[in-house]
Amino acid sequence: MAFYMEKDFFEDVELFNLTQRVMQGDLTLRWFDPKTERVCLTPKDPARGLTYEDCNVGSYGYDRLPELIRNNYSMAPRGSELWGKLPDLGYTLNRKSEVWSDNVSVLYEEAKTRRWAPAVDIGWEALAQAPLPVPLEIAMAQMCTFLQECATVAMGGASRWIYSINQEFLELKSYLCAQIFDQGRHLEALRKRALAGGQGLKRASVAAEQALKELLSAESYSEASVGVNVLLGSVLLSLHRHLAAVASSPADRRLFSLMMQDTARMVAYGSGQLRYHLTHQPHQTEFLHDYLDNAEHCLLGLIGNQECLEPLIVLSGGGTEPEQLRRGGHAVQRLLTQLVAEYSERCERAGLHGRSTRSRLATFLRQLAGE
Amino acid sequence: MSVAFPSLAFFQALQTLMRQEELRFRRLGFVDTTFGVEVLASHGAPWRCLLTFEVFECREVAEVASFDLTEIDFVLTGDLATWVETMQNIKQHGGADAAHSLNTLTHFGERMRVLYDDPDNRDKLFRFQESLQQFFDLAGRLDIDFPATTTTVQLSA
Amino acid sequence: MAYLSTTDFFEDQNFFDRWRRNLKGDLDLSWMHTKTEKLAATPENPRRGLTLRDLDKNGYGFSEMPEFVRDNRSFAPRGAELPDGLPDVQAAVSQKGEVWAYNTEGYYEEAMTRQWNATLDVPWAEMAKAELPDEIARAYAQLLTFLTEVEMIATDVPAEWMGKLNNNFMEVKNFMATQVMDEARHAEVFRKRALTTGCGLMKASPYNEMSLKQIRDADSFAEMSLALHLVGEGVVLTLFRFSEYIAPTDADKKMFRLIMQDEARHVGYGVQHLKWVMRHFPEKREVIHKHLDETENMVFGGGYALEVTEPFIILAGKGLKKENIEQGAKITALFQMKQIEEYFERLDKCGLSERRKRSKLHNALEFTRAALQEAGVLA
Ligand SMILES: [Fe+2]
Ligand SMILES: [Fe+2]
Repeated sequence: MAFYMEKDFFEDVELFNLTQRVMQGDLTLRWFDPKTERVCLTPKDPARGLTYEDCNVGSYGYDRLPELIRNNYSMAPRGSELWGKLPDLGYTLNRKSEVWSDNVSVLYEEAKTRRWAPAVDIGWEALAQAPLPVPLEIAMAQMCTFLQECATVAMGGASRWIYSINQEFLELKSYLCAQIFDQGRHLEALRKRALAGGQGLKRASVAAEQALKELLSAESYSEASVGVNVLLGSVLLSLHRHLAAVASSPADRRLFSLMMQDTARMVAYGSGQLRYHLTHQPHQTEFLHDYLDNAEHCLLGLIGNQECLEPLIVLSGGGTEPEQLRRGGHAVQRLLTQLVAEYSERCERAGLHGRSTRSRLATFLRQLAGE
Repeated sequence: MSVAFPSLAFFQALQTLMRQEELRFRRLGFVDTTFGVEVLASHGAPWRCLLTFEVFECREVAEVASFDLTEIDFVLTGDLATWVETMQNIKQHGGADAAHSLNTLTHFGERMRVLYDDPDNRDKLFRFQESLQQFFDLAGRLDIDFPATTTTVQLSA
Repeated sequence: MAYLSTTDFFEDQNFFDRWRRNLKGDLDLSWMHTKTEKLAATPENPRRGLTLRDLDKNGYGFSEMPEFVRDNRSFAPRGAELPDGLPDVQAAVSQKGEVWAYNTEGYYEEAMTRQWNATLDVPWAEMAKAELPDEIARAYAQLLTFLTEVEMIATDVPAEWMGKLNNNFMEVKNFMATQVMDEARHAEVFRKRALTTGCGLMKASPYNEMSLKQIRDADSFAEMSLALHLVGEGVVLTLFRFSEYIAPTDADKKMFRLIMQDEARHVGYGVQHLKWVMRHFPEKREVIHKHLDETENMVFGGGYALEVTEPFIILAGKGLKKENIEQGAKITALFQMKQIEEYFERLDKCGLSERRKRSKLHNALEFTRAALQEAGVLA
């Protein structure tokens, strides 16, 4: 064990005496008059309930968070009175503009109300009664296998950092918890979809996983966030939208629509975090450009790998006949162009000006198209 | 009683139905977005309306002359023929079929387009997808008067 | 730079050429012929929907999962075909006995359908109407401050361990994902409640914070789970039940009932996990005893946390007058004993009944019981 309590309390006379006194009714009441702000909050809009935004008040609010947290390394809640020997829990992310985004409270509240449960919210029976044609089902099974690899990293991208983030950033940490929960749900839903369809899981993707590992293991939070939430998030959002658009069954359409909603929150956090980060640390712009110069090849690995690209073409074209594959290839080409344009636009709007011209992605796509 | 499409009365009717279906929409979650609906006519001015969703309901619908994309989240725009076909499809199936969902129609901007200024705001279309789809699906319960002729207008890319 | 993909996809000509062929409709389709098992899982009970238990079939299932994961060290889901070249994601735990619990998948599905929302499901308006006497409001706000303070430990710690588990343990990882969310909600609801009492938050509790540090610093999953799920949350579950009992309004009682459901799942996992460990990983027994020695020291030292004990006494006695305090202290003492008794009962259930004999905490419990009997509080 790495940490032992400072005493063997079973041998502690002081503790014995203290508890005796208190239990005999001699209370210390040392907590009775804290030096904290007295508030009595109510929901601004009763229909919406009591949100974290309603609690953004005075010394309790996140608006008053300083850029650098120096006074609290414990879990003592923001706004409570800090006293005595509070421990250092080992937080290493203590700067607001490393992690914060102005939309974290909204996204957290939204995630809670917009949750769904794969067991009961997807039409599993309808799916069983009207199975897809075999080639399409195999493609769906392959797609679900690939998307589970991605969801693992979208989940890991949030869970990996929580332990290191100062508890003062409560609403942000809470949002990350919601992202973990959302992506866990995707893992579950995709596994269920594949194993309900009759084809089982298919092949893991070496190229995708190499790219995923590179993104997940980024050294700093801001790199990891732009890599996982913005780059991987953009890929997943495009794929979920596309799969919902080409879905031939209502159950699949609903599955990917619901996943799309969750992924859009992840992208919204990623864009918001990037914007906040660059607004408060403009000197990081060049570092992040440089990071993406190197990391954007992961986007190619994620979408261009055989285990994603081929089933995507089959699903987009509606089958494996030559004409269907040509049509599918054409649709996927458009999807790629749109994906890269949207990803670049998100980077630009969040403050990475010049990303679309600096990025090699658009050129790569043009070469692919043979232009 | 029937309502004409497109018209303010049509969207007000959807708004009322959404309120009546509060439980179902509550289950789908908060929906906080303001967006425009634009119906392009082959001649004459487009018909435009602005929908404001808040918490679990459609709080406001208003016919407007123009949109300020920096003030709202996005605009769904399509020609009259596409809108009419979509509504007829919804009526026919009690909800949009796979080819007529908002997502499918707007996905590549072929049949409908999404206009926006800030991509973060545009992404609300995806964040609230199911609520918005089910809102439009409520049209399946309305008696709708469609315009006599609908010609397809080429969407400019 | 951290890990770098073994391929730079901008530079790989083969990757580019294949991609280009694919887009023209020339596909290899080799993935259509993977040798993985086929499965068409259906819901055993359609009203429950398709559950993870329904997927517990053959090679995809968790029942037949081998004790040691030797094949998969990647992001790939259990049962997928694993081609050469997949990365090693450096899982720190690849032994099933270290993480598994009876009914993991059941706890997971339960968590997915029993989520609630602190923003909407707690009757805030009703609570706002209830005027609490000043000393009750303060005592309650202090209790809530302590509760919001300790909840997020159970987010930080599972989040940290999730990433260390082999991806074949999908059901456990997903259960942890629900716990992470549950605990964020608990921190949220207690914070919000404190801010609606009229008092706001009160004082931090340094002693309790030291306990959190101990939970964070466990050096294996099994020990973490022991300190967190079984001891920490076990003690807290009793505390929630007690809080429901002494809660000042009906609305507060409802709030504690909702929280209790979540907490019971977490403790349930902890108990079923320890049971599993005892059965499948028996050589852990001595390590667990050593760990419990220190964890019990932490629990016993809780006597220093007057930011919890004193509010309890006031809330249980319903006031600050001498007779209130006397009554409150009696009830609180009984509660504390119950807390410890329930802890030993849980250990019994897991096959660790010898714990009573070697435990200093159990000694202390017996000592307290005798003292209370002498004072006439206990029969
Ligand atoms: Fe909890
Ligand atoms: Fe818990």
